[in-house]
Order: sequence, then C-alpha cells, then structure tokens
Amino acid sequence: MTDPRPHAFSRSAESALADPDLQAALSCAIPRLLERRRAAVAADPGFEEARDAASRIKAEVLDDLDLHLERFIAEAGKRGAKIHAARDGAQARDIAAGIAREEGITLAVKGKSTVAGEIGLNPALEAAGVSVVESDLGEYIVRLAGENPSHIVASAVHKTREQVARLFNVVLGEPYTEEIPALVGIARRRLREKFFAAGMGITGANFLCADTGSVAIVTNGGNGRIAATLPRVHLVIASIDKVIPRLADLPLFLRLLARSATGQPLSSYVSVLTGPRRPGDAEGPEKLHIVLVDNGRSAILQGKYRDILACIRCGACLNVCPVYRSIGGHAYGWVYPGPMGSVLSPLLLGLPDAAPLPDASTLCGACAEVCPVRIPLPDMLLALRSDARAQGLRTPGEVLGSKLYAGAMARAGVLEALQRIAGIVSQLLWRNKAIGWLPWPFSGWTARRDFPAPAPQPFRRLWKKQRGIGPWNR
Amino acid sequence: MREGRVLSYTRSMIRKNAVENAVPVSLFFTCLADTFAPGVAFSAVTVLERFGARVEVPLSQTCCGQPAAGSGNFREARRMAAKLLAVFDGEGYIVSPSGSCAATVRHVYPVLFRDEPRMLARARAVGERVYELSRFLVDVLGVTDPGSAFAGKVTYHDSCRLLQGPGAGSAPRALLRAIPGVELVEMDESDRCCGFDAAFAVRHPHVSAAMAERTLERILETGAQFVASADLGCLFTIGGLISRSGHPVKAVHLAEVLAGPAEAAP
Repeated sequence: MTDPRPHAFSRSAESALADPDLQAALSCAIPRLLERRRAAVAADPGFEEARDAASRIKAEVLDDLDLHLERFIAEAGKRGAKIHAARDGAQARDIAAGIAREEGITLAVKGKSTVAGEIGLNPALEAAGVSVVESDLGEYIVRLAGENPSHIVASAVHKTREQVARLFNVVLGEPYTEEIPALVGIARRRLREKFFAAGMGITGANFLCADTGSVAIVTNGGNGRIAATLPRVHLVIASIDKVIPRLADLPLFLRLLARSATGQPLSSYVSVLTGPRRPGDAEGPEKLHIVLVDNGRSAILQGKYRDILACIRCGACLNVCPVYRSIGGHAYGWVYPGPMGSVLSPLLLGLPDAAPLPDASTLCGACAEVCPVRIPLPDMLLALRSDARAQGLRTPGEVLGSKLYAGAMARAGVLEALQRIAGIVSQLLWRNKAIGWLPWPFSGWTARRDFPAPAPQPFRRLWKKQRGIGPWNR
Repeated sequence: MREGRVLSYTRSMIRKNAVENAVPVSLFFTCLADTFAPGVAFSAVTVLERFGARVEVPLSQTCCGQPAAGSGNFREARRMAAKLLAVFDGEGYIVSPSGSCAATVRHVYPVLFRDEPRMLARARAVGERVYELSRFLVDVLGVTDPGSAFAGKVTYHDSCRLLQGPGAGSAPRALLRAIPGVELVEMDESDRCCGFDAAFAVRHPHVSAAMAERTLERILETGAQFVASADLGCLFTIGGLISRSGHPVKAVHLAEVLAGPAEAAP
C-alpha cells in the first residue's frame, strides 16, 4: 500500500471521471452487485429483523470490547493459537516480520485483508525477505497491475475484462483471452504452485468468535481456505473490531455479509478455524499466529464515532453510493473508500490528513439504507464536517462565506433587498434566462450546467402585493 | 364545457367546505422557491387552499440553514435554525414544497441542538409539525385526487432527502397517478441522488455534474415530457443540464404539477 493521499480527492475524482476504462468497469460491475443484493434481500423475509439483531450484537460487543477480546484471546490460546497484540501499524508489521523470520519463511500466500493494507504489511514483509503472493483473484490482478485495491470486497472492480486480459497477456505472457473462466484458470494454475511452495499463509478474519477462539473467513475463490490450511504456518491479521461474542452468532453475520456484499445467500467458502492442527487432524497448519491490530480503534471506541467499529466490511455502502459509483475507490486515496471509508479513514489517519473525505458525499442517505448493521453513516459524515470546522480545517474564505450567508439570512428585510438586487441584475445581464457563466467558486457548476436566474421579484414580495399583509400573514 | 362547469362547481364546494373546516397551515416556502421560483410557492398555496387549508405565510422566514448545516458550519446553522423555530413557533401544520428543507427541520435540527435541551425540545416540537407538501396532502388531509388539470407524460425523480423515512416516495406517486391528464412513467434508479447538494456541488462540481448526467440519461430513457421532483435543488441541477443541452424534456416542481398549469407560473 502506498502512502495515504486522501487530500488529493478532488483531483483524483476528476481524473477518475475522465477515465473511460474505469467508467466502463464501474457501470458494468456495480449495477450487477446492486441487483444481486436487492434480489437476495427480497428473498430473505427476515432480513430487517436480522439487521436489528446484528446491530444489537455489535453494540453488545462495543460496550465491552475489552472483555470480549480477553475471552477470544483466552479461548484461542487454549486451543493452541499464538496471539499477538499490536498497538499500531508499526508494531503489527514488526510482529509479522518477526514471525516470518522465526519460522524461516521466504514465500507467503495471502488472502484478501484490508487491515493488512491499512498497516502496510506487504512492503514490511518484502523488506524482511518474504515474497508475498496475493491469492484473492482481485488482489492478484491489482498487484499485477501495480495498483491498489479500489473496493473492500471486489478489489479489482475498477478493471474491465479487456484490461485484465491484456494484463495477463503482457505481464504473465499468457495467450490473450477475454474469457473469464480461462482467465480464472490462468490465475488458479499459477497460484497453485505458490500454494504448495509457500511456508506461510496470511489471511484476514471476517469474524473472531470470542467463546470458542475461532477465526471465520469467507471467500468465493476458496483461496482463503487454502492459505489458512495448506502452508505450515497460518498468520491471521485482524483488527480488534472483528470480534463477535459467540460462535452461535456467526450464521446471522454470514447471512447479512453474503447478501449485502455479493447478493449470495452464503459465500462459497466459509472456514471456521479453531486452533492449529491437532494430533490426528488430516490437515491444517502446524502453527497459528493471530495478530490483533488496534491501530487507533480503542480511541475511536471512546468517542462519538464508536459505531463505525460495527462495520462488517460488506461493501454495500460503496456499491450504492452515487459518488463511489461515479469515481470508483482510488480517488478516496486509501484502503477504505466509499461512505464507510469516508468515516473510518479520517478517524484512523486523523481528520487533517483525510479532510476531504467527509465532504465526498451528498448525504443522500443511500448508505444508511443498506448498511446491514445500521451504522448511521450520513450522521457521522455530517458530524465529521462539523469537527472539521471546529478544528479550524476550513479555509478562511469558506468560513467567511458561511458567516456572510448567515448574516444575510438573519433578517427577512436584508434577504428581500438582496433578492431584489439579484432580480434586477439578472434581468439586465441574463434577461431572466438560465445563467451560463458564474465566477469562482460557482464556475464549476456552470462549466457543465446552467444555473437558474433569480426571479425578477421574490415570492415574499409578490405575495405581499397579491394578498396584502392580513392577520394570517404577519 | 359542461365538464368544466361541473369541475368548477365541485371546486367552489370544496372551497366553501374549506372555509368552514379550515386546517391552518403555515407555508414554509423555502429560500430557493422564494428567490428563484416563486411559482412553486404559489402552486403550493393553490393546492393547499384547494383542499381546505387556511394558508398563513409568515414573511419573516428566510432559510432553514441547510447549506450551513450540511457543510458542518453548525454555528451559523444553529443561528438560522433558532430563527426558523421562532418564526414557526406555535401550533398547526407547517408545510413546505421541499423534501430536503422539511427533513432539515425534522432530522438535522435535533442534531444541531443535541447539547441544548431547551432548544432541542423546541426543535422536536416544530419538527413534528413540518411536512413536505405531497406527504401532507396524502398523510394528513387524506387527498387521493389532487384535482389538477396538468397534462403530459411525467417521470418522477425522488429527491434523496425526501426518501429518508419509510414510504416517502409513495405520496408523490399516488398523487401524480390520480391526475387524469398525467401519464406517470417510472425512470430507472429514480432514487439515485442527482448530485445536488449545495456544498457538494460547489466543492466537487465535476462529480456532481456526472451524477446529474446519469440522472438525466435515465430521465431521457423514459421519453417523458416532464421530470417532476419535490426539491428545487434537484430541479436546478437537472434543469441546468437540460437547458444547456437542449433536450426535449422540462423540469417541473411537483407542486406545479399538483396545482395544474394555470397556476404554474405567475
């Protein structure tokens, strides 16, 4: 993962709009995901109740996260897993590199893990002499292209089939094909060699079950299961908010996750991993290391944005967000794009380093409508905007503008005077037709759209003329 | 001709009833309608009076503060909210030809005054009385037929803030369907945000325009003559694209359709 650069949001968004391949990829893949989700939710009559239940369980976890984590650590430890706690990204990287060194690992296969991207795991391991091969198809494609994932579920959603075909042809030297099964076959064949050779498998965790110390991983390619079971060592990188109280809660979350993410009733592969291989087990890693990453989350837990830690990374809020759908994930500048990212990234990176993200939304509310755990994302985006003002992150011009506007609106008389001036100017300049050009900061609007001309006389004045000021019209 | 007479007789009966059982309504006409589209506010009055409301228009109102609140400028937003709460203090319904302005009072004011119990109580009291026009007609007055003479093929764009709250998209549709001259043709993704949000449109005009263009494509696919919406903001962005591109479709406010063409533009 390269350095975070959410500050470039505006420019990145503009280039995303001008990228025809990206636009083609988005308008092909996202509607399909949305339609599948819609159908899957419609086919599940208890879905709304399931959302309520999941949101309650997540609240239960966040009320006592320390207790649930302690329980997970104790239970997983009892079953032979080695647990490591990492305060921040640097510590997590050191721990992972240390494990690789200790175990003498030179090749690792990795499943998709967004928290690994968050802490910059791959470069740290590469620096420690471990080559890391991505085994999730999307991550594999993105890595081949030398890019970052643009989605928390479908990493390569920004690439067209033709782009992937060219990539496999040019970078891997495979014969050119646009057939998806053939492309998947190529990746599978190449990854298989790596799976057999790798000393370590790295995965994230979708859920950590506290009462049994189990790690639950879902994938559609099956790569997570192979990475977790085939190599000698399994390294799990999980953020502390992944914990759920009971293994018995898992079916509820799996149901919500699969339907919200891909519109499946259940993901193709669900692995519940409890401890390393025991004597007599037919398969499984000899060693299981679990790195629990805090990296700012216990601070979030204390504040008003606590509920963002309930996020189960389904990506539904990305798919439904009209802004994400227009520009894709790279413009957000870090591993977490879309509405959930626009809340989480400023909290993890600090608002000054991610200031544009809370503004990257029209607050239309679509994200809150689909969130399987009912996180009030628009409310949080709004609160972050208010924090930006309170922390002095707004430009003086914007603050002045806001004050002038509030001043003009403080008295109806002042407003009416301004409206009449605007009406006269509009008649003189534009003859009350649509306005085709406005100066900065409104020039962006008129670049592609007209702006309506102010009416010659405002409603309040016309009303007074028509009805007079009677007892009902103070 | 005869039909016209019957209609006008019915209307006069409705008006007579109206005076006797008048429902007092304060019109929250919104700064956008006030400044840019007085016809929308007049249309709202026409429809409300048609169904027996006694419309009061407090002229000391200005703006609900949505642009300030939405961009996180809570200090200014609170000032404006306090003003609106003072203007509409009292009893009776408050009706606005805007889903987003109504939603600002109902849903955003409580956020602004989270830490001020006295103002929070006032915000809640006023918020409960605020309705978007079509929801007021359907949910409160029980209107099934708006009695409009509007004619044409109309598609409806859900303004996204209006969607907040269950079934928000159903009232406008029920009313549009009941107009004899209106053929309602549904556009695809009618509830996908058109990119208008005052602060967003200024900060990210290109993304906003791209979103609007997508909405316009969906509108054009229907072959409708009119696109109606309950928010002027949506109509500004969609209408701005239409007037720039010269497409044969007209952006009209829901209130104008409900009122009928005669009262559409004074």
